[in-house]
Amino acid sequence: MNARTSRILWGSIAVLMLGILLGLAATAPDRLPGMDASLRAVGPGEVFPFGTDRDGRSLLVYAQQGARIVALPSILAGLIVAAFATLAGLSRCAGIGWLDSLLQAFQELVGALPRLVVVMVVTMLLPYDWRTLLPIALTWAVLAAPAAMDEAAATAGRLGGARFVEALRAHGFTAGRIYLYHVTLLNLRAVIARQAAEVMMQVVFLEIALSYLAEAGREASFTHTADTKSWASLLYEGYTWLVASLPLAHAMFLGLALVGCVVLATQAFRLAARAR
Amino acid sequence: MPWWTRPLVRFAAAIALPLLIPALITIILWALPGSPAEIICPREICGSGTDELEVHFHLNEGPLAFYTHWLGNAVQFDFGTSWRVAAGMRVSEMLASALPATVQLILISMTLVMGASALATAGLLPRQLDPLWQAIGLLPAVILALICAAYVTITYGAVSFDGWPGTLRLLFGGLVLGVADGTLGSAIQGTRSIFEEEVKQRYVGIAVLRGESVLSNTLPNVMPALAGQLRGRVLHMLSGSVIVEVVLGIDGLGQLVWDGTLKQDFGLVLAAAWAYALISSALLALQATIEIATAWYVRRSPAIPEAA
Repeated sequence: MNARTSRILWGSIAVLMLGILLGLAATAPDRLPGMDASLRAVGPGEVFPFGTDRDGRSLLVYAQQGARIVALPSILAGLIVAAFATLAGLSRCAGIGWLDSLLQAFQELVGALPRLVVVMVVTMLLPYDWRTLLPIALTWAVLAAPAAMDEAAATAGRLGGARFVEALRAHGFTAGRIYLYHVTLLNLRAVIARQAAEVMMQVVFLEIALSYLAEAGREASFTHTADTKSWASLLYEGYTWLVASLPLAHAMFLGLALVGCVVLATQAFRLAARAR
Repeated sequence: MPWWTRPLVRFAAAIALPLLIPALITIILWALPGSPAEIICPREICGSGTDELEVHFHLNEGPLAFYTHWLGNAVQFDFGTSWRVAAGMRVSEMLASALPATVQLILISMTLVMGASALATAGLLPRQLDPLWQAIGLLPAVILALICAAYVTITYGAVSFDGWPGTLRLLFGGLVLGVADGTLGSAIQGTRSIFEEEVKQRYVGIAVLRGESVLSNTLPNVMPALAGQLRGRVLHMLSGSVIVEVVLGIDGLGQLVWDGTLKQDFGLVLAAAWAYALISSALLALQATIEIATAWYVRRSPAIPEAA
């Protein structure tokens, strides 16, 4: 398989995974369905497609609502990181000394903060009715940006920085073509896409972690309302199968499969956008 | 850019960080709509405690008074008492008792990561295993920690926190922090690639011909990059320790931050966040010191005997 075919294949997988996530999110019901004692903890063979939880609710609703919780915040977080990385890369190529120094100071300071601790502080300070995944994801994106900026700036530096731009100007290319096409699309694309996809994945994992810890402590989640279920709830149900042998293995496998889909989507984005 | 610019920026950042954290919190508190005390703990949850909170933290005197009072006390390690997590207990005592567990956790995971990186650089860890570390690293810390917690719970019971089960939780915690979220895979590949690139340099070949060792020639030149990687990894582990400590029931700083956030214990969370900022500052200062020491060592002129 040549490189172009491989990129198209991985790109298709990435789009498919993103489509599944958005499809699940778009079809998610606003509230959980009622309990059904006759269908408690039954497997996929009895209730299509994923079986039920210990209250007889379909696990499909968990998958849909969990996707809705993470879809928009994770995509926005990815876009923010992509924007920061692009800015750092372009700044290095443009050779604007003061902007480059300013961005490096930002990277040094923000990059020195332990992300999850800052997220916890922000979460605590948010008013109760603002407590969704979105502000947490945006905070995470800003905190994750320095790593992406560092790599993008280093890539631009290896490219030749301002000298590369000068060489292209000598060929008569316009500034728009140089910065958008030659620098960003052809050379920074791989770094930007990979960093953005990784931050999207981190936001999903962060949501799962925060919701799981809240659910295990019987507390309200920071990321969603009490009448919706996150993917963490699937892992929590599945954990009871591990430690208490309740018949909820299918919940664990569905939770892990969803995590696997997110990982696959991230890897697919990375491979689809890799440099030639 | 002169060689000392980067270490200088790092020292400046190390000094600024402990001032920045409470400043950021102050800005957020006063930027959000509503009174800061109501934001920290709404009246429907804390009742009259909200007014006490306002007076205790000088929130009613404006942002500058709050910031200066808090920071003035913090530099004397006086964080007051816990509000809701362990009402009445001194926060400094809570931090002091939680810190050793977090430090142990980080030391265990760093031993694992640095040991594996050293083995990989020395060629003792087969390159063929790289995909394995990368595959394990794809798993999020919460899932790996859950698997470990399930093992301890099934084997020793749900309330096994002392003795060997307690030690096992700590070891598993260090293991999870060391391998999850790509830590081990990127450490092995990162360290190995830094050395491999350096070994290709011409001066190394000449040094080998002179009978000198590769390591003694390359190490000073790669030290700044290694120090940067080390700081990044410790910071990543500190961040991940919140999840690992809560899932595995380890009483560390991360557990305190989590409990404080859940119970809106403002004083505790602010103090714990400041403790993290101090650790991060220390790491920045360490990296800057290593960079300066390396620069001096590398630039030291060899003694040239005077011509007769």
